[in-house]
Amino acid sequence: MSDLFGTSRLARGVVSTAAWTCYLFLLLPSLIVIPISFGNPGQIEFPPRQFTLQLYRQFFTDPAWWGSTVQSLVVACVTTLVALILAVPAAYALARSRLPGRAGLRGLFMMPMLVPVIVLGLGLYLQFSSWGLLDTTAGVVLAHIMLTTPYIMVSVMSGLHHSDVALETVASIMGASRVTIFFRVVLPQLKASIAVGALFAFLMSLDEVVVAYFLTGQNSMTLPVKMYSSIRWELTPVLAAVSTLLTVLSLLIALGIIRMQGKTEASA
Amino acid sequence: MTMTTAAAAMIELEGVAKSYGDVHALRRTDLSIAKGEFVTLLGPSGSGKSTLLNLIAGMITPSAGRIVIDGRDATTLPTNQRGLGMVFQNYALMPHMTVFENIAFPLQVRRLPKAEIRRKVAEALDLIQLGHVADRRPRELSGGQQQRVSLARCIVYNPALILMDEPLGALDKKLREQMQLEIKRLHAELGITMLYVTHDQDEALTMSDRIVLMNGGRIEQQGTPDALYFKPETVFSAEFIGSSNLIPGTVQIAADGTCRLKTALGTFPAPAPAAPMKAGDRAVLLIRPENMAIEVSGATTSVPGRLEDSILLGGVVRHFLRCADGSTLIVQELNQPGRSVAHRGDLIQAGWQPGHARLLPPQPAN
Ligand SMILES: Nc1ncnc2c1ncn2[C@@H]1O[C@H](COP(=O)(O)OP(=O)(O)OP(=O)(O)O)[C@@H](O)[C@H]1O
Ligand SMILES: [Mg+2]
Repeated sequence: MSDLFGTSRLARGVVSTAAWTCYLFLLLPSLIVIPISFGNPGQIEFPPRQFTLQLYRQFFTDPAWWGSTVQSLVVACVTTLVALILAVPAAYALARSRLPGRAGLRGLFMMPMLVPVIVLGLGLYLQFSSWGLLDTTAGVVLAHIMLTTPYIMVSVMSGLHHSDVALETVASIMGASRVTIFFRVVLPQLKASIAVGALFAFLMSLDEVVVAYFLTGQNSMTLPVKMYSSIRWELTPVLAAVSTLLTVLSLLIALGIIRMQGKTEASA
Repeated sequence: MTMTTAAAAMIELEGVAKSYGDVHALRRTDLSIAKGEFVTLLGPSGSGKSTLLNLIAGMITPSAGRIVIDGRDATTLPTNQRGLGMVFQNYALMPHMTVFENIAFPLQVRRLPKAEIRRKVAEALDLIQLGHVADRRPRELSGGQQQRVSLARCIVYNPALILMDEPLGALDKKLREQMQLEIKRLHAELGITMLYVTHDQDEALTMSDRIVLMNGGRIEQQGTPDALYFKPETVFSAEFIGSSNLIPGTVQIAADGTCRLKTALGTFPAPAPAAPMKAGDRAVLLIRPENMAIEVSGATTSVPGRLEDSILLGGVVRHFLRCADGSTLIVQELNQPGRSVAHRGDLIQAGWQPGHARLLPPQPAN
């Protein structure tokens, strides 16, 4: 196995150098904003010639930036919460019941994962405009719930796959109802995979730009949309500060997911 | 036990069957289990033991027949309304709950007051002598301890019937024997009806009031351990429980009605057969090894054979004899001082009293 490619030391060196170059090439654009964010508030420059927190001050004091940040956090939180409430019981039902149309139902739930986001955005735009949901928080939240629910379901179903059905059987023999079994036997076993799904959904909603761009306006603009439009209209260096903050947040959440996944595997 | 009325039955199976497509996991079966009885389902792998148990627990629904539990038709009753207890081979303890919480769970499901739950759990923990581990998680316990906890979780809510599917299968021999005694003790103290699945004949013989021997999805024979051991009705029963010498032959019936079996090793007197037979039928003579003895005089019925080997098993010795037709006979004797010692290769006689033999129908070809 180790010598599948007849790797000499030299060849391995070349491969790993190439890999690292690729990583750096992909990472660099995101990393480059970090030094810029601590630089001159007047213009975007690299490398920065001074170190200030001016850009961060601007970000936190400008209500337009700050407002869309709060908006994004609210949307992400509500989305995650509702998607959890929908996805966890649905995943449980799909995994354990013997409904005849099970495969079809599962396909239906997974659909938003397969449809191109741009198509979804356009479709929702047309639908929501007739429902009067354009440029409302409810509208984005609804769209994000659609987008994130399948991901939570996938995570929870994999958790259910690893969980022990015998525990549910034994609880049922001891007299527990389906509902009791769900809350006292199933949910505790799914803690980690639910957390992974939730973090993932939160992250997705937080930096989702395509659908939100279709659906939001001045009253409901989320942070990524605000960033995108400010690139097009003003190109302010505050963007660097926002990007850095988002990167840090994403990194933290990703670390959280990795830790949780480690836990699910350890307990399985 | 003199429980003959239907009211005293804990379980009544009437023509219960379960098939998966073409697979007959359980063929039409009638079985009645009395209240307070300890019944063991014994049989080889795939004989339908778990299927029978799961049908009673309600984990699967029968393809045919009726299941009555405690006088109530339970054929389609959901599992959680059957009021049973069950112990699994892999313990099935909740990993996210402590030992205390595990045992308290069925009581919480029954909405008992907190104080009563605490008292009952403490009692159950005492009963299995594990009070000191109440706050631990199951994975911090040994296999034997975990199985005792799952027993406690079962008896704590006092179900009328406890089902056990090879509960000791994952434990080593010594622990198994200890737990067998513990389960027997609990059965005696609490008077709960128990239906116990095992494929270990010794376990079945040790523990049961009655053994139900299963073979190929049906009941082969049932009875007390003694009855199964001394009065097997088929070759399968004889071979599955205890070890046996089986000599096939043809039935001869004399004018006075006595029965003989003509075999390749000679013609032997046989007791009246367990199933009706007529002259010329194929049949098998069963003699348990411990009912045979190495003979010098040849006073009783005997067969000559060459001693192939003798194994000492502590209190008993087993001799393996090679007979004229190439078959092997096993003779088991008590290992006593002064026992005559035959040598490998010696020509000796294996004798038995005709009354200790049993005439069985031949094994159906399949
Ligand atoms: N869900 C199922 N689908 C198809 N066949 C099944 C199913 N469950 C059991 N069987 C079959 O039914 C037969 C009886 O199985 P069962 O589990 O009752 O055997 P068992 O006596 O408990 O065996 P073991 O000692 O190995 O546990 C087997 O041939 C098995 O393959
Ligand atoms: Mg089984």
